[in-house]
Amino acid sequence: MGNRLIPKFIFLFFLIALVVLSSQGIGLNYQQTIAVAIFSASVFATLLFWDFRVAVAFLGIAILLITKTVDLENMVRFASLEVILFLVGMMVLVGLLKEMGFFAWLVTLILRIKNLTAKKFIFVISILSALLSCCVDEVTSIIFMVAAILEICDYFEVEPTPYIIISVLCTNIGSTGTVLGNPIGILIASKSGLTFEDFLLKAFPLMSICLLVAILLLIFWYRKAIKKLDEKLKELGGNEILVKLISIPPERQLRLGLSIFGLTFLFISLHHRLELLWGLEANTLLLSVPLVSAGCVMIWKWRKAREYIEKDVDWWTLLFFLLLFAKAGTLKYTGATDVIAQRLLHVVEHNSVALTGVILWMSSIGSSILDNVVLVAAFIPIVQSFKDLGITLQPLWWALLFGGCLGGNITLVGSTANIVALGILEKERNIRMTFFRWFWVGLSVGIVTTGIIWLALITLPIYR
Amino acid sequence: MKVKEIMTKDVTSISPEMNAKEALNLLLKMQISGLPIIDEKNKLVGMFTEKDILRNILPSYIEKVGRFVYEDNPKVIRKKFQDLKDLSVSKLMRKDVVTVDEDTSLCEVARLMLTQKVRRIPVLNKEKKVVGIVAREDIVRAYIREAGWGTD
Repeated sequence: MGNRLIPKFIFLFFLIALVVLSSQGIGLNYQQTIAVAIFSASVFATLLFWDFRVAVAFLGIAILLITKTVDLENMVRFASLEVILFLVGMMVLVGLLKEMGFFAWLVTLILRIKNLTAKKFIFVISILSALLSCCVDEVTSIIFMVAAILEICDYFEVEPTPYIIISVLCTNIGSTGTVLGNPIGILIASKSGLTFEDFLLKAFPLMSICLLVAILLLIFWYRKAIKKLDEKLKELGGNEILVKLISIPPERQLRLGLSIFGLTFLFISLHHRLELLWGLEANTLLLSVPLVSAGCVMIWKWRKAREYIEKDVDWWTLLFFLLLFAKAGTLKYTGATDVIAQRLLHVVEHNSVALTGVILWMSSIGSSILDNVVLVAAFIPIVQSFKDLGITLQPLWWALLFGGCLGGNITLVGSTANIVALGILEKERNIRMTFFRWFWVGLSVGIVTTGIIWLALITLPIYR
Repeated sequence: MKVKEIMTKDVTSISPEMNAKEALNLLLKMQISGLPIIDEKNKLVGMFTEKDILRNILPSYIEKVGRFVYEDNPKVIRKKFQDLKDLSVSKLMRKDVVTVDEDTSLCEVARLMLTQKVRRIPVLNKEKKVVGIVAREDIVRAYIREAGWGTD
C-alpha cells in the first residue's frame, strides 16, 4: 500500500507547486499564495486521497496559523460553526426519524402503489426522491430509495440499474429545492442572506421545472426498460403479492417523531419572519431551530442521546467541512479571492449576465468531478468579493446553488448520493456501473437542467 | 492463569477454498459458531462464523435503513442463501481476526471478547502459527474451576 501512496503524494506536491507558480503568475502575494496553495491541497486531497482529506485539512490549518496567514480568532470565525451545528442538529433529527421507522414506512408506501405501471413507478420514485432529498439530506434519502427500488425490481425480475440512476438524478435535482437538501444550501443561505422563504419561492419552483423536464427526458431515455417492466407487470399481475408482505402502520412514536420534524420544518421556513418579529439577528432562528429540535429529541430519548451524537452525526465529514470553511475564509481574508474576482470580472468584461453564466457553468462542471461543498466553499468568498466591485450577488448565489447540485449528475462520482447508490448496487446485485453508461444520461440531464437554470437566471427579473 | 492452560489444542480449521455450504454444515455438526481458516502455509487468513452468513444474506444497507418492512422473508434473501453453495469461505470470512499469543492472561482474553465482540479467539505461537483456540465457554469454565464451584 505504501508503495502506491508515494507516487500519489509526489503528484500532490507537484500539483500544489503548480498552483503556487500560477498564483505568483497572476500576481498574488506571499500570504495569498499560501492560502490558495493550502486550499487547493484540500481540493486535490478530495480528488486523489479521499481517506486522507481530514489529515490534509488538519495539516493545512496548522500551516495557515504557523505562517501567520490567518490568526486564531479569524480562523475560528471563518470555520462557520453555525453551519456545522445546523448540520449536527439536522443529523440528530434524521437519526430519530430513521429509528422511528419513518423511512421504512416511506418505502412501504412506494411498494404499496396500486395498479402499478412502469411510468407511474418512474413518476413516483422521481418525485419522492426529489421531495425526500429536499427535506432530509440527499445521502439518507438515496439509501431508502435504492432499497425500495431494489425490492420492486427483484420482485418483477427486471434490471434495477435504470431506476436507480433515475432516482439518483432526481435526488440531486431535488436537493436544490430547500436549504435542507444539501450542505451547500445551508452554506449559501448563511453567507448570502437568502432566507428559507427565498429558497421556497425561488429555488423550489425552478427545481420542480427541472425535475419535470428530467423525468420526461428519462422516460424517453429508458423507453426500452419501461416497456420491459410493463410486460413484466402484466405477466406477474401487479404488486398485490408484494403488498401482502408489508405492514408498518405509522405508530405513535413515528407520529411524534414526524411532528417534531414537521414543526422544525415549519419554524425553519418561517425563520425570517420570526426573526424580524422578535428583532433577532438574521439567520438566528434558521440555525438554532434544528438545535432546539435535536435538544428536545435528546431529552425525549435521553438514554440514546449519546448514540445520536456519536453515530448519526457524520463527524468525519463535518470536521472536514469545518476546516474547509476556515481555509476558504482565509482566501478572502488574505485578499486572494479579491484578485481572482477582479480577474474573472475582467474576463467577462464587467457583464453581470455573462458572469452569472460563467459561475453557473463553472460550478456545474466543477461539481461533476469535485465534492460540491469544496467547490461552493471556494466560490463563496469569490462571490462575496464581487460585492465590492458593484455586482448584484443574488443571481450568483442561485447559480452557485444550482450549478453545485445539478453538476453532480454529470458523472458517477459527481455527488455523494451517486457514490452511495452505486456502491449499494454493486454490493447487492454485483452490477458495476461503467463511467460511460452513467455519463451520457447524466450529462444530458445535467446540461438540460443547468440550461433551464441559466435561462431562468438571465431572463426572469425575480432572480436579479 | 494463561490462555495456553485452557485453550483447545486440537484445532479444527478449514481451508479458504472450502465451499460455504460445507463449512456451514461443519459448524452445525460441531455445534460451534465459528472456525478459523488456515491456508496451505499453515497461516491464519480469517475466521468464518455464522455471523458472516447473516451479514452476507442481509442487504448491506440494513444498518442504515433501521428496520425491515416485511412480514415474511423477501425473495432476495432466500436467493442469496441459495447462492452460498457456490461461494468459497474466503469470500465471506472476516479477514481482520482478533488473535492472542499463548501467554495472554485470561482476563485480557475476556476483555478482547467483550470489546471486539468475538466469541472465539485463535491462539498463535511466536511463529504466528495457530496452536489453539479459546472460546467464551472456556473462560467461564476456567473461572468456575478457580472459584472451586466444581462442575463436570
